[in-house]
Amino acid sequence: MIGVSILIFGLMMTFSPERRAAAFVTTPQMAKDIPMLIKKYGFDKPFYVQYFTWIKEVSHLNLGYSLVASRSVFDAFLYYFPITLELNLFASPCIILFGIWMGTIAGIKPNSFFDHFSRIFSIIGWSLPTFLFALVLMMIFYGYFPWFPPGVLSDKLTMFVMNSNDFIRYTHLYTIDGILNGRLDITLNALKYLALPVLTETIVICALLMRVMRSGMLEEMSKDYIITAMAKGADKKTIYLKHARRNALIPVITIAGQLIASLMEGSIAVEIIFNRQGIGWWLASSATQLDMPVLMSMCLVMAVVFVLSNLFVDLIYAYIDPRIRLS
Amino acid sequence: MSKLIEIKDLVTNFYTYEGVVKALNKISLDIDKGITFGLVGESGCGKSVTVRSIMRIVQSPGKIESGQIFFHEENNGSTSDSEPVDLLLQTEKYMRHLRGNKISMIFQEPNAALNPILSIGAQVSESFLFHKKKEMAGKILEHLSAEDDTTLPLIKPFLRFAYTKLAENPQSGLLKLFSRVPVLKLWETKLKQEARRRSVEIIEKLAIPNARKIFDSFPHNLSGGMKQRIVIAIALACSPVLLIADEATSNLDVTIQAQILELLNTLKNDIISSILLITHDLGVVAETCDRVGVMYAGSLCEVADVKELFHNPRHPYTKALLNSVPKRAQAKKLETIEGSVPNLVTPPTGCRFHPRCSLAMEKCKQKTPQIMDKGNGHMVACYAAA
Repeated sequence: MIGVSILIFGLMMTFSPERRAAAFVTTPQMAKDIPMLIKKYGFDKPFYVQYFTWIKEVSHLNLGYSLVASRSVFDAFLYYFPITLELNLFASPCIILFGIWMGTIAGIKPNSFFDHFSRIFSIIGWSLPTFLFALVLMMIFYGYFPWFPPGVLSDKLTMFVMNSNDFIRYTHLYTIDGILNGRLDITLNALKYLALPVLTETIVICALLMRVMRSGMLEEMSKDYIITAMAKGADKKTIYLKHARRNALIPVITIAGQLIASLMEGSIAVEIIFNRQGIGWWLASSATQLDMPVLMSMCLVMAVVFVLSNLFVDLIYAYIDPRIRLS
Repeated sequence: MSKLIEIKDLVTNFYTYEGVVKALNKISLDIDKGITFGLVGESGCGKSVTVRSIMRIVQSPGKIESGQIFFHEENNGSTSDSEPVDLLLQTEKYMRHLRGNKISMIFQEPNAALNPILSIGAQVSESFLFHKKKEMAGKILEHLSAEDDTTLPLIKPFLRFAYTKLAENPQSGLLKLFSRVPVLKLWETKLKQEARRRSVEIIEKLAIPNARKIFDSFPHNLSGGMKQRIVIAIALACSPVLLIADEATSNLDVTIQAQILELLNTLKNDIISSILLITHDLGVVAETCDRVGVMYAGSLCEVADVKELFHNPRHPYTKALLNSVPKRAQAKKLETIEGSVPNLVTPPTGCRFHPRCSLAMEKCKQKTPQIMDKGNGHMVACYAAA
């Protein structure tokens, strides 16, 4: 974490004091105040002083001001994050369960029809660009059959309900809030908007998971303890699911942790194409408009997310693999 | 002595990319009840494939092509043998019932033979949970009726119902349904406790101290010798009639090896009736076996009682093999067998040993010799040994 913070700070320091001070300039008249601004924000101080000032601000969640969102970075994050989170909430289980399920079956019966099918499926998912996939899906399910619209829940009636006093936005996730307020129609509606992005992410990302799971299963099935289990009189289901799969899951968990963590930053292509203004969309816009505070603080957030996901993966490891468990 | 296993003309092939590996070339072998049968031969001669064929756990790409394996199941108390069953014609379900219950197996690599992420206890009790559900249910019912009625009113009738059901039919669909329902699946707790009690018992029987602690530990906590004992415990759990030891001592150091062999010998008297010991160590064979079979390149050369084989080997391969054992006070150079093991994708015609045999005749190259009794149960597959 500290390393990442220094790295981010170092990147920021490559900009001249004037350039950074210019971030605070909002009108042409203020341009002449740049030397004063440099003094005011301490941009002429030695870098380590600046570093600690920055760390202090960051630790108070003061991450700067986002031009794109025209609010503070922290507020903007809270505004965009639920949209990404909601997508991930549905996409992650789909990715993990579907990937493991297909990988297991393909690994149990290599070179069967299902194995070939899953191989083709994963090659398509892995090699086609996400945006193309998203566009094709949208063309079919929105263009030809108007079932699954892009965007987020925003029709007038829903917004009216949303903004009424009775509807409490506990989580800012449309689906969850709908259930919590007893408005299942809103949940169902929101799910309609979610279907295509979730499908896109599932197909694109579970391809890798599936392949790892398959090769893991194949490897474990040739190990000696499988023969021991067979000689014990175990039935096929026990051998596959209790003995082989738990061992094969170990590498899959590592990858799944990384994939889910990277999903948390938002999938830029998916969010832009389906017009869901989440973290990915915000990041992409910030990058094109050189919204430095946003980019820097998002780097920091990503680092936090990755550290947390690694921690989480380690915990699952310890659950599955007794060799890693501490005494 | 009555027969236990009778193998007739067993052929097993492996379909690899290089071609069909003819791993077993019409093996015929009888194993009697109550003996220790040693199967010797060099690496890759088909010893393991033979025993895996008996249990029908030859893994893909291997396939049992033809032959018959008769298993004479013991009838409790009755003197007459029941009708032998041909294992190769049985359903997979029957084989599952047989494996680990009637015939069980221990393996060469104790480190690899245990699942690294399941506890020792879970792996040992699995055997009981597969095969002894009925007996355990009966035992638990006894306990239930003996117990005082101090538990909550509903639990006991439920448990009694579940275990009565289990005693009647271990495959009951209703119980499977129970196992899937969150609270109701607690009925299995007593079954698991019973399996645990039995597992600890069998682990203790194998001279392992601290069995309770071992039960909860994992394979990586144990030494190689310990692991091998656990593998043996798994195999012995259901008191099988035949224990197959597939090079069970090859990877252990000599002291542990001696301990394990000693253990097998004592166990043979108590629990199991016969042992099929696979090894390439002639010393082990001389020490422990009653009868020996010698294999070469997928065919059985010679079967004889152990003393007869060591004193009076009849097959040229056995002779050469015994000659190449280093002896104490040996002055001259150690003898070897000329040539090398044939590739089993394209095995030699006729007798598979003929290219390396000093006594080879024209006939040996054309026709495979049948294994025949040359008196006193000494079976030899060689024209020259007639």
